[in-house]
Amino acid sequence: MSPETGREIALSLREVSYTYPGSEVPALNNISLAVAKGEIVFVTGPTGAGKTTLCLAASGILHHEYGGSLEGAITIFGKNVRDYRSMGEIGRDVGVVFDDADAQLIFTTVEEEVASGLENLGLPREEMERRLRAVMEATGIADLAERAPHTLSGGQKQRVALAATIALGTKILILDEPTAELDTEATAAVSALLRRLSDEGTAVLIVEQKIGELAAIADRMVVVEDGAIARTGSPAELMQESLREQRAGGNARPPAPALALPGAPVISVRGLVHRYDGVVAIRGIDLEVAPAEIVAVVGENGSGKTTLVKHFNGLLRPTEGSVTVDGLDAATVPVAELARHVGLVFQNPDTMLFAETVADEVAFGLKNVDPGASEERVDAALREVGLLHRKTAYPRALSRGERQRLAIACVIAMKPKVIVLDEPTTGLDTRESERVMEILGRLRQDGHTIVMVTHDMRLGAEYADRIVRMDQGRVVRDSRTYEEEPCLKSCSMSPGRAPFTASTRSPS
Amino acid sequence: MQYVTRESAFHRLHPLTKLIFAAVVVALAVLTSDTAMLALLAGAVVAVAVASGLARDLLRQVPLLVSLAVSLLALTILTIRSGEIIGYLVPQSVPVIGGAFPVTAGAIDLALAMSLRFAAMLFAFQLLVISTQPRDLVHVMDRLRMPVDYTLMFLIALRFIPSLQLEGKRIHEAQLARAYNPGRGLAGKVRGLFPIIIPLVSNSLGKATILGLTIDLRGYRSGRRTPMRDLSPGRADVAGICCMGVVVAGYLAALLV
Repeated sequence: MSPETGREIALSLREVSYTYPGSEVPALNNISLAVAKGEIVFVTGPTGAGKTTLCLAASGILHHEYGGSLEGAITIFGKNVRDYRSMGEIGRDVGVVFDDADAQLIFTTVEEEVASGLENLGLPREEMERRLRAVMEATGIADLAERAPHTLSGGQKQRVALAATIALGTKILILDEPTAELDTEATAAVSALLRRLSDEGTAVLIVEQKIGELAAIADRMVVVEDGAIARTGSPAELMQESLREQRAGGNARPPAPALALPGAPVISVRGLVHRYDGVVAIRGIDLEVAPAEIVAVVGENGSGKTTLVKHFNGLLRPTEGSVTVDGLDAATVPVAELARHVGLVFQNPDTMLFAETVADEVAFGLKNVDPGASEERVDAALREVGLLHRKTAYPRALSRGERQRLAIACVIAMKPKVIVLDEPTTGLDTRESERVMEILGRLRQDGHTIVMVTHDMRLGAEYADRIVRMDQGRVVRDSRTYEEEPCLKSCSMSPGRAPFTASTRSPS
Repeated sequence: MQYVTRESAFHRLHPLTKLIFAAVVVALAVLTSDTAMLALLAGAVVAVAVASGLARDLLRQVPLLVSLAVSLLALTILTIRSGEIIGYLVPQSVPVIGGAFPVTAGAIDLALAMSLRFAAMLFAFQLLVISTQPRDLVHVMDRLRMPVDYTLMFLIALRFIPSLQLEGKRIHEAQLARAYNPGRGLAGKVRGLFPIIIPLVSNSLGKATILGLTIDLRGYRSGRRTPMRDLSPGRADVAGICCMGVVVAGYLAALLV
């Protein structure tokens, strides 16, 4: 029985420590945590704190699949994970959603994905049919039934992976970053669903980097740092505490002065329409961006944000209308030429990393535009993003935040006038997000124009001079200051954006 | 190559009937090297596709088949000399090297037979894949007592091919945005592939662990499955199997005569 809730313990970790094979530093250090039936426990902490490892431990994966040194006891309804024969057997009690949604979609349509798990349970056909419909409705994917996984957005994939797991009806759910790519509406739907499941007795363990809506539905919140539990409490208490810390420490970043330079716009979009495969993704956009301006393009998933910015460097060409960037016609000038004027940092840095060393990675783009460029320019770009000391490291061995900063270094080394970033802080913790935004602030001081695409309204509210809100392929609002944009003020004050973890103070 | 949602006659057949169809075409295709027989076989598969309204989907493979046929033809002409000489790649009138690379009837026959064989097999396999939901195929393979790992391998290949193509495109775009230049000459082109291939392979390998865990946790390897849909063979299946029986008998008779 849980002393807090008086309910039966579903999942329990007692004094669990774990070290990965080949590593000397423990990834988990003496973790004790219990989740009772019907309880939602929200675990947060900075990147590399051990949150994902905690998920792997709690689900028995470390014991059954990883090897390494595992100490302590992990039990599922009182049964030690060591006593389960295989992961297949654990799967009957525990549903796990991993942070990479794409890798969890096995079948070729959404409906099959959700239905196939049910077929493995030996349920009567009518019950399977009922569960399938109910889960697809609850996760908002009923209209995607016939879609193939590769045609889905990141957020849609996350919802399908979640639906396929929830459909199994396990009494324990372990969710690693289940809403990282979801917009506010979808996150609210997932929150409501998880709350309902917990009310029906499901034990839920959620791991999230950012403290948003999911934290609000939790019964208990746990902060993990350096592989150990740093704090435990009610979400309200810990959120208040973090707000107090934030106020005491002052704003993490001084408000950026509006530096936009007068003169001709560096980006000019007129009457832009983009159609592909019969879908109208952009429905007539007029937009001008001044030099040295930081513009956040915000909107829900599928509103056309990424489609718009891909026109700036010629990766997409207008179906109708015109796009001029730094005086060049982006409809006709080759991409390689536009790359000298516009740098694009993709959402996932792993999309581009291929070189043997960090320095080679930065030099690749630089040498493409300026074959005679000196090594000093590589160093300068790495220094700018705080990675000079890692210049000989293998890029893919860097942490997620470091890889993101490396991707930015690759672009700034080419010294483009405009830097476009697609979801620059997805997958980053508060501290790393702030580092990235500080870098962007400095780049703007140097005269670069920054356009960042984000579904994180708070990011736009805190760091941009201007917020362009898109919906269904149109610009529906263009606000110079965030007071003009409804919701932003309240969003920016919400604890979700608060630099919650003590990591901002820790020397590491 | 992926399942296409449609209401075709071929879609309505039992997955086992379609699997037998594909297996029969493959078996008949390897039994002979006679170009006329192979052309007939490929033609029969196309006729089935036309009758089911799936011909347009098959047409997508034509560019691949044409490029394969051309490569095979070049390879056989360069390496095989058998039968009557039809002509020369370098006309005899050219001084010194005139008459080099004779084109023989045997080489053309072999290239044609291999291309037709491949076309028949590819069309049959594609008909199976575009008309059958993968989970139905999994059930049939289960019933046939195929090892579950092989079934999953097949399924995962079907699922991830389009994703890999998309990921490749995304990586290509990311490198283009860094003014990536694919390079000139063979060595340049090969070197130019690294910025695309390395992220593609590394990212795919990164997914393998999670994919494997998901397969285990969702119970795909437990070996007990209850199909959600009732898939019992109907009259069309009986008719289909009978037709295939007749075709096989006729085909074998023609081969033996």
